[in-house]
Amino acid sequence: MKTRDITLHINEEKYNLTVDANQTLLQVLRSIGSTGTKYGCGTGECGACTVLVNGKTSILACLTLAALADGMHITTIMGLEKDGELHPVQQAFIDRHAIQCGFCTPGMVMKTISILEENPNPTEDQIRHELEGNMCRCTGYEKIVDAVQHARDMMKGETR
Amino acid sequence: MSELKIVGKSVPKVDAKIKVTGRAMYADDIHMPNALHGKIVRCMQYAHARVIKLDISRAQKMPGVVKILVPEDIEKYNTYNTGVMDLFAPDELNAVWGEIGEEPIFTKHVKHQGDALCGIIAKTEAEAEAAAEMVDVEYEPLPVYLTTEEASHPDAVQFTPEKPGNVAYRVPGGLFPEGFYGYGDIDKGFAESDLIYEEDYYVPKQKHCQMEPHSYIAQFDDQDRLNVWTSSQMPKPVQTKLHKLFGLPMSRIKVNQTVIGGGFGTRLGLIGEPYVCAMALAVPGRAIKLNYTREEDWVASETRHSGRFKLKMGFKKDGTPVVYDGYMSFEKGGYYTHGGVVWVSGILARGAYKFENFRFDGDAIFTNKVPCGAFRGYGNPQQALCMEQLIQRMCTDTGIDTIEWHKKWHREAGGDPWGFGVPTMNCGADEVLDRGVESFGWHEKKEINANQSGPKRRGTGMMLGVHCSAGFPVLLEHTVATVTLNEDATAIINCSISDLGCGNHTAITQIAAEALGFSMDDVFLNWGDSDANAFDIGAHASRTIWTAGRAVKEACEDAMKQVYAKAAKFLKVDPAELVMEDKKIFTKEAPDQIVDLKELLWKGIYAFMSPEDFQFKFDRGQIIGKASFMPFANNPGWYACFVEVEVDTETGELKVLECTYVNDIGQAINPAAVEGQLEGGIQQGLGFSLTEEMYYDENGLILNNSFTDYKMFGPTDMPKCDIQLVTTEEQYGPYGARGVGEAGLCAPGPAVGNAIFDAIGIQFNEAPFTPEKILKAIKGKGLFPDKRA
Repeated sequence: MKTRDITLHINEEKYNLTVDANQTLLQVLRSIGSTGTKYGCGTGECGACTVLVNGKTSILACLTLAALADGMHITTIMGLEKDGELHPVQQAFIDRHAIQCGFCTPGMVMKTISILEENPNPTEDQIRHELEGNMCRCTGYEKIVDAVQHARDMMKGETR
Repeated sequence: MSELKIVGKSVPKVDAKIKVTGRAMYADDIHMPNALHGKIVRCMQYAHARVIKLDISRAQKMPGVVKILVPEDIEKYNTYNTGVMDLFAPDELNAVWGEIGEEPIFTKHVKHQGDALCGIIAKTEAEAEAAAEMVDVEYEPLPVYLTTEEASHPDAVQFTPEKPGNVAYRVPGGLFPEGFYGYGDIDKGFAESDLIYEEDYYVPKQKHCQMEPHSYIAQFDDQDRLNVWTSSQMPKPVQTKLHKLFGLPMSRIKVNQTVIGGGFGTRLGLIGEPYVCAMALAVPGRAIKLNYTREEDWVASETRHSGRFKLKMGFKKDGTPVVYDGYMSFEKGGYYTHGGVVWVSGILARGAYKFENFRFDGDAIFTNKVPCGAFRGYGNPQQALCMEQLIQRMCTDTGIDTIEWHKKWHREAGGDPWGFGVPTMNCGADEVLDRGVESFGWHEKKEINANQSGPKRRGTGMMLGVHCSAGFPVLLEHTVATVTLNEDATAIINCSISDLGCGNHTAITQIAAEALGFSMDDVFLNWGDSDANAFDIGAHASRTIWTAGRAVKEACEDAMKQVYAKAAKFLKVDPAELVMEDKKIFTKEAPDQIVDLKELLWKGIYAFMSPEDFQFKFDRGQIIGKASFMPFANNPGWYACFVEVEVDTETGELKVLECTYVNDIGQAINPAAVEGQLEGGIQQGLGFSLTEEMYYDENGLILNNSFTDYKMFGPTDMPKCDIQLVTTEEQYGPYGARGVGEAGLCAPGPAVGNAIFDAIGIQFNEAPFTPEKILKAIKGKGLFPDKRA
């Protein structure tokens, strides 16, 4: 197997890594202990592996070759908490009871951040459409959609 | 009952933070030092075949390969079945229906796509996968049986000599008291009926699609202990089943339950544990990690029972339910697994209405599909989907108000035994129906929808249902809990309670805190540790709160009884007079005479004689409360579901617009968690009736083994959900709670079917009700022709 030497900035820490050419970003993240990012399908259908590039854009780590992520700044679910403070989106998921088994939660939270980065004021309809690529089998999405709306309002400084 | 302080509050889940930070440890997140990796070699190209030759010589030479286990290596172990009826049902009953454990760990007779042939152990996962590709297998293909008719043909290849004719399971008769699942005279019933309805239904093969694929770790350590890490929803029965399978003493098996990424029944009993444990036993000392890919989850992890249901019912002109006669024939899949689902289907069908005569018969026939096992609802969604649609047709034909029919004929509290053969102590069905009619706007919507034109037609439908709070008395019910009071007046609960995501760990902590008079922060639940946790049957049958909740409550009450006994001795009062507030114990008569709980507990552990009088202040010893609780009741929750759909008569497309769901759950321990259970159940129930089915080609290979091709309800498909909780009195469940975990799934399907019937006047016998079927039926009947000019 051919290998590549790459540099990844994961949650603001620099990693110099030698990876197999066919290794996915998801495999590499999990191998270095960033296990909050989940394998749900490996085929880009469930969204459990969603991470952020440059703190904004969501990508699916299972469909991204690690070698192609060379030099990227990646934020995972494990890098959101700052000085003991949860990210408002994380807090919203707790407050609105949007977590059941929790396996989709890391991807849902990262996707929500990217939704709100792109559009700080999405409607409920827009939120539902944006979440189509992130599957949840526990909640029926009701409380997740509620949590995203709550996060939207909190981040705008208003709480419903 | 005094006012509840913690029970009944929607407190955040105790595990919310570890899950939202990504720090929760699911099985695949655990990394053992120097671990090896397992890979199961599966037959992917045949659904039915004999293995003529299994050649591992090329695979053995692959880099990193440590060992390869073939069928001959596991012949020393017993065979098994993945289900738990061998443990949960009495031997007499198992003998009647012929419980078998015919599944070998690795097989030479492939019975479904994905059947396991051998196991690779290698240094890395990639090396194990590469070696698996190099195993050479020669097959003799066998005829593939996808339907019960094909498999039960006299010339069909036999799946196991123990089950002639490939009849895996037949509903037993004669063992139970009369009136259990059948009563009256069926022929007489039909002779006396004015209206007879008969249909042949098909219920689909639904997949759990839990988000976390199965993962395991096992290690046979230097103290001859088999340590297993698994996300099983039944860790203690898994321990027992591994004991039976491998012949190891229970003291030499430790099951560590990890955080569970969704279950819904798929993690009920054994799944990958036999494979990973066989691998661990073959390489003593080394930890083995075994991850299922999502593809393996589709082919090698159980599904809901699919099959045909012949249902015939007779009524009087006024709607009086005279006779019910059902025959359910399930497609079992390749192995016996949970044989008894069809039987439970009958029990639950028996539970809802006061038919004067009732018969439920059925079987499960082996087929070359993925074995069917447990799935949320366990037979109830299948039968309810059919029965409620046929009742609606009778109501529509006769002009009987469907709400009134349901109110009049549901079973009641008191002497009227519901499905499980025991009388229920209460029934909130009427209140559930009233609340639903009002909240949904049933009559208003009927009025609005009365005059419709155009290609899109709206309709409303409803159903009433009932589901158990536990398995009693037909299945084992047992939970053991201990409560250790620490010297600082905090508590550790030890109980093997599974939380599949439903919030059981939170609810149980709430119950414990309430019963102890502590805050939530002062109580911690230690679960998933088979050494520390005594017996519990695990999560199934909506039973965790009912049985485990009461076990924990009683263990806490036992601890507090010991506390009060010590305090009473010190205060020289009757313990019955004592109360506790803010951990201060006193009598109402002398509130200034106080025993501090912390001091009492501390000095029980760090106990010294007073230098003055050489006496101990309190009785010495640490307080541990315990309960080994086996319930003697099973009060079901009644639920009703109301939906509105819009059918596009030009395309067959269907949109579910609204869903009101009302459940009589008694006291919700955590209302937000209960709502979440029901909303999630609705998502699965809508999928069951409208979009979800595993499709096979003629060779028995799965066609839609991906989340793209297997369509679940997504965030834009979900209707507006209106969850209404009715809290009728509950005398038996802890703090008045009943079970709720499965009901959400059982309800939406029939309500949707009835709403489609209301919208376009057509009923469908084969779920899921897809746009193709709807459009075909509309065209076939020549309906709405003016709209498709």
